[in-house]
Amino acid sequence: MSTMPIAAVPTSTDATGTPTTETPGPRPESVGTRPNRTLKIVSYVLMGLVILIYLYPLVFLINTALKSNSEFLVDPTGLVRNPQIGNFLKAWEQGNFASYMLNSVFYTVVAATLGTVMSLMIGFPVARGYVKHPKAWMGLFAAMLFLPNTLVTVFQLALRLNLYDTPWGYILIMASGVGVGPLLIAGYLNSIPREIDEAAAMDGSGYLRYLFTFIPRLMMPVLSTAFILQAIGVWNDIILATILFSSKEHWPVTLGLFAFKGTYTSEWTLLSAATMIVAAPLLIVYLFLQRYLVASVVGGAVKG
Amino acid sequence: MTKSYIVFGRRITAQLTFAIGMALVFIFSLIPAVGILIISFTDIRSLPFLPVRWVGLENYETFFSSAQIGYNVIALRNTFVFAFAVTIFQNVLALLIAVLLNQRLRGRNFARAAVFLPTILGVTVIGLIFTLLFNPSAGPAQQLWGAFGSSSAFFGDPSLAMTLVIVVQVWSGIGVAVVIYLAGLQAIAPELYEVADIDGATSGQKLRHVTIPLLAPAVTANTLLCIIGALQSYQLIYVLTGPINPATQVLSLAIFTQGFGGAQGGTVQSQGYAAAISMVQFVIVAIVSLLSLAYLRRRETVL
Repeated sequence: MSTMPIAAVPTSTDATGTPTTETPGPRPESVGTRPNRTLKIVSYVLMGLVILIYLYPLVFLINTALKSNSEFLVDPTGLVRNPQIGNFLKAWEQGNFASYMLNSVFYTVVAATLGTVMSLMIGFPVARGYVKHPKAWMGLFAAMLFLPNTLVTVFQLALRLNLYDTPWGYILIMASGVGVGPLLIAGYLNSIPREIDEAAAMDGSGYLRYLFTFIPRLMMPVLSTAFILQAIGVWNDIILATILFSSKEHWPVTLGLFAFKGTYTSEWTLLSAATMIVAAPLLIVYLFLQRYLVASVVGGAVKG
Repeated sequence: MTKSYIVFGRRITAQLTFAIGMALVFIFSLIPAVGILIISFTDIRSLPFLPVRWVGLENYETFFSSAQIGYNVIALRNTFVFAFAVTIFQNVLALLIAVLLNQRLRGRNFARAAVFLPTILGVTVIGLIFTLLFNPSAGPAQQLWGAFGSSSAFFGDPSLAMTLVIVVQVWSGIGVAVVIYLAGLQAIAPELYEVADIDGATSGQKLRHVTIPLLAPAVTANTLLCIIGALQSYQLIYVLTGPINPATQVLSLAIFTQGFGGAQGGTVQSQGYAAAISMVQFVIVAIVSLLSLAYLRRRETVL
């Protein structure tokens, strides 16, 4: 979080004349008493509402996934009475989700890793001026955030390079959409003194060893931000996958689940079970990585 | 700093790794981007072995031709409605939620996690959850409508589909905005609020005169991110209402349907035409983001 440029420093406030001799207590909110109390209650109510708006859809999904078709038709919103695990088994069997999930995880991890390594390979030398015209390259990195929609040319490229319907074509295209990565890395490097480069070089470290082993340890936060931002993009993609894959065996889970929806349009309980199968691993991962993920995304988004 | 000097023995290694990284970016990202402009002047098709002809401005003429303009104006209007509604609602709500969750409340971390959750779930899962909630045959939304003696086809209702898509987009996109605002809020010195308290400021006044001015840079960042993202987004719309629904047709989806079929019954143009739509969209995004940036920067200094 050390790279947060929005830490706005107030240049001047109209309240500078007011004495601030009060001891800076640990809880500044507890200055007033009475109005703060109602405010607190209102805040709790509002927070409860926010949580409800975000968790109700999930609860409803799980609830529906557990119902039999007839129970759902009789009472779509009521709490499940007779839980059916069978929905999950059927959805699992017919949806082929294990293989789609594996594809998605593979594409996401490989493309985001590759993208992050590329960002490092191009961001570091530009930030340090180890290549010519660093300013121009930085400008290009910024311009890369505002590219036109390239669906058509990416498809043509994949077709002509014989990468159409291959996992590697998809991965290379996804990885090359580095987004804010190089800018993030270059920005973060301002806080790592050049002297460290020089010291490492004096100690006999080569450029490659320095770039791929020393520097990453110094900039783990920003590298993970770059990784996660790109990973979210790959994980969520459905359009490029639709365009670049014709064989089902390569589909990511976004496409697999969407196709499942097309096949079982009105079998709501089965659809819910399928959605739950895809969501469950994400929820588990999120449970453990939540703080980390949130922090990383902000670090990147603010820079972008 | 522009002067480059040698730190690591041989410069060539640095240049080589840089060149490898840049080569990949060029081939798979920059060349396709420039290529869009070039092939928008051709009649290239999705089959690889057909001859490609140079057609000049024909694709752009088609875009504005009487046969297409009606459809394209709808797509343009939808794009703007979607982008502006999402940007405004998402930012206002995100700011309010951030202010709320910045207070010392028990369970606020849980609430923050809940709001951010959709970012992790992904568009297809979100799309299916909301299809289920707004299931026209039997679902909670239909029951709610029923309580008022009404009923709706929801995503199937042309007058309601766009509103619902906007709601879902805001619901799922707000997490990132909230977290950015929270980071901005935490950077505001608590002493300023103490001073405001001593001056007898109400919480509304504190929000207006302390929080919002100091958050201005975060507002700029969030608004820009949101506007650019929303003008180009289509994944969620694709999942919720399909690629060819006129009520929710946006430019990005038009690129997809024109370039890759899905345009039911209609005449599928060449991919050159789809590229021309990409360019039109690119110009719009560029103009809108530059204008918003100029406006927001000026607001920042006014506040």
